[in-house]
Parts: sequence; C-alpha cells; structure tokens
Amino acid sequence: MSANPSNRQVVLEIDRLAISFGGLVALASVSFDVHEGEIASLIGPNGAGKTTAFNAITGFLTASGDSIRYRGKTLNGLRPNQIADLGVVRTFQKTSVFAADTVTDNVMIGLHRHAGARLWEILLARPRVRDEEIRLRAQAGEILDMMGLSAHAEELGGALPYGEQRLLEVAVALAAKPSLLLLDEPVSGMNPSETASFMAMLGRIRASGITILLVEHDMRMVMGVSDRVIVLNQGAIIAEGTPEEIQRNPEVIRAYLGHGAGKRGADKREAGRA
Amino acid sequence: MDQFLQHLLNATMLGGTYALLGIGLTLIFGIMRVVNFTHGELYTFGAYMVFFFTMTLSANFFLALVFAMVLGIALGAAIEFVLLRRLRGASIDTTMLVMIGAWIAMQNAEQLAWTGVAKSVNHPFPVDPLVLGPVSVSWIRIFVFCVAVLLIVGTHLLIHRTRLGKAMRSTFQDRETAALMGVNIDAIHTATFALGSGLAAAAGALLGPVFVLVPGMGDMAALKSFAIVILGGLGSFMGATLGGFLLALVEELGAGYISSGYRDGMGFLIIIVVLIFKPTGLFARKERIG
Amino acid sequence: MNRWATWLWLVFLFSIPLWMTNQYYLHILIIAGIFIIAAMSLNLLLGYTGQLSLGHVAFFGIGGYTSALVSLGFDLELTDRYSFVFPAQPVWIAFLAGIVVAGFFGWLIGKISFKVRGAYFVIVTISFAEVVRLVALNWIDLTEGPMALNNIPPFTLGVPGLWELTFLRKIPNYYLVLVTCILSYVVIARLVGSRLGRAMIALRENEPLATSVGVDVTRLLVLAAVVSAAIAGAAGGLYTHYIRIIDPDVFMFIYTVTMVIMVVTGGKGTLAGPIVGGLIFGILPEVLREVASPEMQWVIYGVLMIVIVYFLPDGIVPALSSWWKGRSGGGGAGAAAPGPGAPPKIGEERA
Repeated sequence: MSANPSNRQVVLEIDRLAISFGGLVALASVSFDVHEGEIASLIGPNGAGKTTAFNAITGFLTASGDSIRYRGKTLNGLRPNQIADLGVVRTFQKTSVFAADTVTDNVMIGLHRHAGARLWEILLARPRVRDEEIRLRAQAGEILDMMGLSAHAEELGGALPYGEQRLLEVAVALAAKPSLLLLDEPVSGMNPSETASFMAMLGRIRASGITILLVEHDMRMVMGVSDRVIVLNQGAIIAEGTPEEIQRNPEVIRAYLGHGAGKRGADKREAGRA
Repeated sequence: MDQFLQHLLNATMLGGTYALLGIGLTLIFGIMRVVNFTHGELYTFGAYMVFFFTMTLSANFFLALVFAMVLGIALGAAIEFVLLRRLRGASIDTTMLVMIGAWIAMQNAEQLAWTGVAKSVNHPFPVDPLVLGPVSVSWIRIFVFCVAVLLIVGTHLLIHRTRLGKAMRSTFQDRETAALMGVNIDAIHTATFALGSGLAAAAGALLGPVFVLVPGMGDMAALKSFAIVILGGLGSFMGATLGGFLLALVEELGAGYISSGYRDGMGFLIIIVVLIFKPTGLFARKERIG
Repeated sequence: MNRWATWLWLVFLFSIPLWMTNQYYLHILIIAGIFIIAAMSLNLLLGYTGQLSLGHVAFFGIGGYTSALVSLGFDLELTDRYSFVFPAQPVWIAFLAGIVVAGFFGWLIGKISFKVRGAYFVIVTISFAEVVRLVALNWIDLTEGPMALNNIPPFTLGVPGLWELTFLRKIPNYYLVLVTCILSYVVIARLVGSRLGRAMIALRENEPLATSVGVDVTRLLVLAAVVSAAIAGAAGGLYTHYIRIIDPDVFMFIYTVTMVIMVVTGGKGTLAGPIVGGLIFGILPEVLREVASPEMQWVIYGVLMIVIVYFLPDGIVPALSSWWKGRSGGGGAGAAAPGPGAPPKIGEERA
C-alpha cells in the first residue's frame, strides 16, 4: 500500500481514519502506515488535518471503529495515558511544558510511567523509594544532557527561552520512553541553527530505535530528515513517498502553490512563535 | 388525583420564580463563566428590600417590588464592577474564592442589619385562597406567578430582540470574535451580572411575601439556582425556564409523596444525577443562549 | 524549614500543655488543631491536585458520625419486626471505621470528578455535602436528626478488660490531636514529595501534557480524593470524641468555607499553608470575640479573603517565602525569582 524501500515492519497502521466536526470534515478516510525505525513526516497546508490526525492517534480525539492500530493493538477509544503506556507519546503544537516546575522536575514527570514506587511504600518511606528517586533524578540528568539542557536544570520550565522550551518538550516526551514519538511542529519558531541541531538530534533519537512521526511546515527539515513523506490536503492524502518523489509530485506542488510552496520554510521562520 | 392536581398547581406557581433564579444564573454562568456564589444573596436582598419599603417605609407594595428589582440590578452592577472586573483573566479558583468572600460578607451584613429574627411582609391581596373545584391557590401566588411570567417574557425579548441581547449572545458564543466586532466585553459583563442579579432580586422580592424572611434564605435559593442551570444546560434560556418548573414539580411531588424533610434535597439529587449521566444538561445545545 | 527549626518547633508544641495552664486556650488550640488537619486534607485535593472540591465538610462529618455511631452502637428498624442491631465497639475501632467510611466516600467523589470537571464539579461537591446533611437531619432512626448523638464516649486506646487509656481531659486530647496532626502532615508530605505527588501537580498544571506521558488521571484523582477524605474523616473522629456530641450542623457549608479560607489564605499547594491558615483562622475568632459579634467577624473574614486573593493570590506562605528568598539574595541556582506561585521543589520537600 505504501512505499517501503527497506522492507521494515509496519508499526503504525492508519486504516480509513475519518473525523468530522458537526458538518465539517477534518479527515476523509485517510490511510497510511509508519514503519519501524523510520522518520515519517506528515505535511500539508494549514487546516489539512495533520494535528487532527495526531489528536486521534494519541487519544485526544475519539475516532470510532478500528482505524488506528499500533503494533497490532487498536488505539481507538483508548485514553491518552493508556496510549502512552503502549509506547506512543506526542508533543503539542503550542508549547507545552510544566511552567511552574523546574526543568528537572518536568523530565521527572515524564519518567512517571517508569517509576514503580507504590503508595504504601511511599507512605512508609521505604528505602526503595529514596533509591528510586535518586535513580530517576540521574536518568533525568542524562536526558537533559542529551538534549543540551543541563545548564538549565534548576530553572523553571516557564522561564526558559523559547527554543529551549521546545527542546524541553521533547525531553519530557523522551522520558516516557516511547517506541513511537509524534512531534507536532517541533521546530516552528526556531532559527536556522537551532533547526539544524534539532535535525541532528532527531537522527540520534532515531538511532536509539525510536520511530518518529513528524508534522512540520519547515520543508528543509522535512526533506532533510525524513525517510518518507505523507502529504495531506483538505483532509485527504494526496501523495506519499520519499522526499525526492514528493518534491517532484505535481499534485503536491499544486496544493502548495497557493500558499507559496518554496518559501514555506522562510515564511514559517518569520511568523515565529507557536 | 386531587392531591396531585394541587401539587401540580403549587409547582406551577412556584416554578415561575424558580425559573427567574435559573435564568439569572444561567446568563451569568454562561456568559461570564463565574460560579456566582452571591446569587442567593441577591435573592435575599430583594426580599429584604421589599420588607424595608413596605414595612419600614410603608410604601406601596407594588412600588416596593419595582424598587427591589431596580436596586438588585444596581447592586449586581456594583459587584461586577468592583470585584469581578479586575479578575478578568484570573483562574476559576480565584474568582470563586472572591465570590465566596463576597457571599459571606453579604450574608452576615444582612444578618447584622436585620437580625436573625424571621420577618414577614404584608401584601395587599386577600388571604383567603381562590378555590377552583378540588384545588385552591392563594391570590398572592397567582400574582407572583403572573409577574414571574412577565419577567421571563421580558427577559426573553431583551435577549432576542435588542442590540444588548444580541451582544450578550455573541459574547456567549465566541468572546474573541465578539470583541473584534466591537462588542464592549466589559460593558456586557456588567450588564449580564446586573441583569442576572436583578432577576434574582425579583425572585426574592416576589417570594418574600409568600414565605418568611431570614438572612440565610439565599443559600437554598442559590443551590436551587445551580440545580436549575445544570438541569437545563449552561446558557440555555429555555432550559433554565423549563428547569425551574421541573424542579418545583419534583420538589412538590417529593415533598408530597415521599417526605417533606427531603424537599430541599431534591434539587441536589437532581444536580448529582444529571451531572453524572448527562453533564451537558437536559436541554443544552451547543453554544447558544436561547 | 531546616531540620533544627523543625525539631525546635515540635519541642515547643509538645511543651505547650506544660506551661499553658489556661484550659480555655488549650481548648482553642485543640479545635484549631482539628481544623488544621481538615485543612491539610483539603489542601491535598484543592491545592495540590487542583480539584475544586467544596464539599469537604461532608468527609469530616461522615468520619465523625461513623465513629460516633460505631462507638455508641445503634439499631435500625428495618421492618416492623426486625431490627438490625450493631453493638458498640471500642472507640479506636470506631475511629478507624470513620476513616474508612470517609475514605470510601472520597473514592466515590474521585470517580465522579473525572466525569464532571471544573465549575460543575464544584457544584456537585457542594450538593453532595448538602445531601449528606439532609440525610443526617432526616434519617432520625439512625442519626437522631437534630436531637444529636450525645454521650459519645471519649477516645480510648486499648483492649477493654485488659488495659485502657482514656482521653477524657483536655491535655490528653491536645496530645492526641497534635500527634494526629503530625502523622497527617507526614503522610501528606511524603505523598506530595513522591512521584505520585509530582503527577498530581502535573495534573493540576497541564493535564493534557500529563496524560500524554502516561499519567492516569482517574487513578490519581481517586487517590487524592481517598487520602484527602480519609484524613478529613480522622479529623471528624477526633472532633466527635472530644466534643462528645455531634449533630447535622456539622455539615454546614460554612465549615467547608472555613477550611477553604484556611487553605487559600495560608497558601494552597504548600505544606505549611494550611497550618498557617488554620492557626490564623482558628485563633482569630477568639481574638475578635471581645470586639466583634460573630456576624461582624464573618464580614471581616469575607473581606479578608477577598483582600488576600487580590494582593497575595497564592497565599501567605508563598508570599513570605519569596520575600525571604528575595532578601537572602536571589533564591535558587540561577532561577528567575520564582513567582509567588512556585510550589516547593518536588522531591526535595522536608518536613
């Protein structure tokens, strides 16, 4: 059904996903797959339905039926935290951190799933609890190192500069140890050098075995990191393939033409914040 | 059967004022998203104002009613302007706490002013009830019902036929767009709160002569108002109206056939049950007043 | 607060009955202490988890009534011929029963809160407390309604027949309340400083983000509600065996409001907040008693609450703590001065 150059296993299956709000069709029977270990990008003009798809996949919108499957398990109807338990974690389009907590605490909340201390152990202050806290704090430190945020460890999440906040979002998502990471416009508002280092980091994340599904407007980044690109327009898929194939696809060019396709990345950077 | 008819009639008579309370609160709750803990105090205020005018100043009963309502509107506007205006962007907790503070201060001020001794208001209607076959109803209640209906119709016209009403409805649907279109949101808020409070005061003024006045009477009124709003759906005028009558009916039947002690509890049970099973209320439609 | 200050404070508290001979003041402290326990429990739900629960007095009263009924024994006429008889139990068992039953109702509220959020939840919780009050008032067969349950036995520990310790006078009750207060504080502090506490705060601050990384909202809300209700129930139990009378007035909304005032003015979401708030609003009525009538006092409290919400929106404790940090130069490593809303660093809370 979709281009699969390296014959990798399909992990996320979207099968005729359709979502409407009242009379408005947001997604019209969309189908695509994401393969193990790849970086796939979902692109399309504003309003194409990309974030709607994300919301449906991660349980923030309920889609009926059986249209979303991850590693064989149906995600429709599950709550976001249940979906996170299955290894699917997302970031948000609008910057979303725990503003009044420190950066380290932000990441430690992300580690919540992987901490095991039970209520009674906490209440009795068993040594295991303290040991686990130390372990978690160390893990948080490692993640911050990886994201280059260690210098800000004790600052409040809300006090960070914009670029660092977006990195923090990814750090928190990574802390939940996803096997599929959904990033919603992660570099919007970043300058070119921030974007470049983010691209490198994506490569490192992928190298650690995590599959990535990206929604992005910045074409340079999309074409630079993606293995495959899926193009949405007005709620339907109009093209799918490698970055090169997509760039040459006349449908895609037409869909973007009205929105200033080639300048897309530059426009977005200027438009700036989330 | 006769008893049932009597209950029905009682409920209808009472339902009108309940509807006023509900409509007042649904406007405030719906447009301003404020958990208005002072609603009950406006009810009390209306009642005590009628008492003050008729008993202390010996003014005309009907005039007293009008004054009470007008003063209620003024008090509502003052509360909004002094207390709520600067809390515009604040969290719901903060607003709620300020309203609780205001509620406590108001109720105890009423207590200080009028003492806790129950008061009653004299009215110019005959005390003997009108007997219609198997049922009977007192004249004052008929009067109260008629005035309530008048006010309900009047408010409906205000909301649907005037520019102010249109501005209120658009603020309810989409605040940002309304502001962009030139609606003065501050003024709408003041007007909404004033109107809602005026209706509560009217309800109190009308029911004052029917029941006795104690400073704590507003608490039940407030809680019933919330029940009605929830029953009818947030922001739904029709819902609040029907909800008011429905609550009165449930109370009457409950008191008549089950136990009068639990009468006031009917409202709360309704709230809890409705919220659990149909959180948007029985009549709520998406984003509309009316 | 560092270790030394804490120990000093505790020693001071334990020493009070030794030098404060005025029984009336001791009584004030006991009542204040009971309210502080209830306020701390409310803080867990309102302050830390961010749930606008305004029916808290219901848990207090349910704990009190359950403990009273279990310790007195009761009988219910189920039909004309059959009565269900429940024999009186030792008070400490009754006390635990009060905690369990209150916790159960907390569980119910927790479950409901997930479905019904925001302003609606406020209304549901208020309604719940009112329904409970009306039941207490009208189910005379069980609760004696407005005639009140009296002759409630004082708190006792021990095994009847073998050894018993009875808390009849003020001094033993003071210590009982103090110890329960400390225990409750420790429970809450440990919970809040743990990964569960972090998750609760995350829930309050940014729920979508919290769920997206796996935080189970329902379970956490239920947990917070159960612990909160259980501790409130304990406070109710202490109250009932100290005052030794309980009537439906204990469920009045005004008491919930008192607790809310204590939590909010003290500082919601901080451990010390409810204690500071509880002390102020436990002792203030006594200070003002000579000067102002009860109604006047309430007018003052109402106004005070409004003023504090406007000027110190996060309460006294956070305001004091930022002021203190400001004075000792800069506060936390490189951090922008935390806004008055910053909760204490998670994971590093000390008693």
